[in-house]
Amino acid sequence: MSSVNDPESDLTRKQRREQAREQRRVAEQAHAEQATQRKRLYQLGGVALAVVVVIAIILVATGSGGSKNAPAPKSAAATAASTAVIAMLQGIPQSSNALGNPSAPVTVQYFGDLECPFCKQFTLSALPSVIQKDVRTGKARLEYRAMETATREKETFQNQQVAALAAGKQNRMWYYVELFYHEQGEEDSGYVTENYLQGLAAQIPGLNLPEWSAARNDPAYSNQVIADAQAANQAGFTGTPSFLIGKTGGTLQKFEDSNLTSPSTIEAQIEKVAKS
Amino acid sequence: MERDRLRIAMIVLALIGVGIASYVTYVHYAGIKPACTAGESCTKVQTSIYSELAGVPVALMGLLGYVAILAMLVAPQDERTRFGTLLLTFGGFGFSAYLTYRELFSIHAICEWCVCSAVVMTLLMVASVWRFLRSGAPPRAEPEMPLPGIAGSRAG
Repeated sequence: MSSVNDPESDLTRKQRREQAREQRRVAEQAHAEQATQRKRLYQLGGVALAVVVVIAIILVATGSGGSKNAPAPKSAAATAASTAVIAMLQGIPQSSNALGNPSAPVTVQYFGDLECPFCKQFTLSALPSVIQKDVRTGKARLEYRAMETATREKETFQNQQVAALAAGKQNRMWYYVELFYHEQGEEDSGYVTENYLQGLAAQIPGLNLPEWSAARNDPAYSNQVIADAQAANQAGFTGTPSFLIGKTGGTLQKFEDSNLTSPSTIEAQIEKVAKS
Repeated sequence: MERDRLRIAMIVLALIGVGIASYVTYVHYAGIKPACTAGESCTKVQTSIYSELAGVPVALMGLLGYVAILAMLVAPQDERTRFGTLLLTFGGFGFSAYLTYRELFSIHAICEWCVCSAVVMTLLMVASVWRFLRSGAPPRAEPEMPLPGIAGSRAG
């Protein structure tokens, strides 16, 4: 009886062992898969956290768009800016939107948006050298023209540009433009208020404020802004700052200046046109 | 088979992303106006201060990102490449979210090329998360000795 039952019970034990092994193997596999899945979820969480941290850093780093808030009109920063601007422009003839000797052989038209941070970069980094070496010496004259890029609202763009042109009626537009860029606030932060525009005008030496205020209502300046926009469009400009350079009184050519911090490219072009 | 189809769909999406980013990078360096049905919105976005990060055009960053994703997808697939794709698409998604935030709340203009890229990157991110979590467990090392039960049955 036992000799017949023994192999059967042996087989059953083997089968049971195999079944138990199989169950263990399945359980281990399931456990391993769960562990892998858990590990992947941790990795996913880690990646998401890392991305959130990196984006937060970028947001903080670029939060101000590279610009500070506009200084208050009579603050130390505003005084320092106006001192620097006056020193740079004093003694250079101005007329309407132009800076420099009217009979200078080369004319540079600078298309900008007063709220454009790239224009600020160019105006504060490269332009002072151009003004010193080429405009003050009578080699070139600069004309400032308007092209809307960074300013959010058309009305604000028109308003600030007309304010600058109105200073040009007293041959002081370049003071206004330079002061605007020097004291430029954070892009689209709404800093360009009536108080800000009047504060800039108040910093310009010798500007008659009532006359400047009255000139702001002159429709000729609004028309000038429209004409500038048409000229920019005709030239095919897509951003600011953009330039047209040529012989004074002749046809001006589009000039690309990709280096906004160094005056070397634009100065070389002025030299080239002057010699042509 | 299903995984292959998903990978092919992701490769197609990455190629679309490469196309969009290449065009926007070209527009940036050529200084031309991008094709845009929303007037000057695209130009406004692409000439804003946020079009560059530390002096590098964000369009170029996007192009490099899409190329890296594409490289990960065409490489032989294993746990590491799937994780690499996840990392890149998550990074791309986060960056797209940051740029969309800037468009909406800083520049106040929407560039349709950027929106298309953000949609493509979001789809890639979703697909890569799905693929990463749904892929089987990595193959385990075979035991050096066969299991006794199996050996017994083979011997028998």
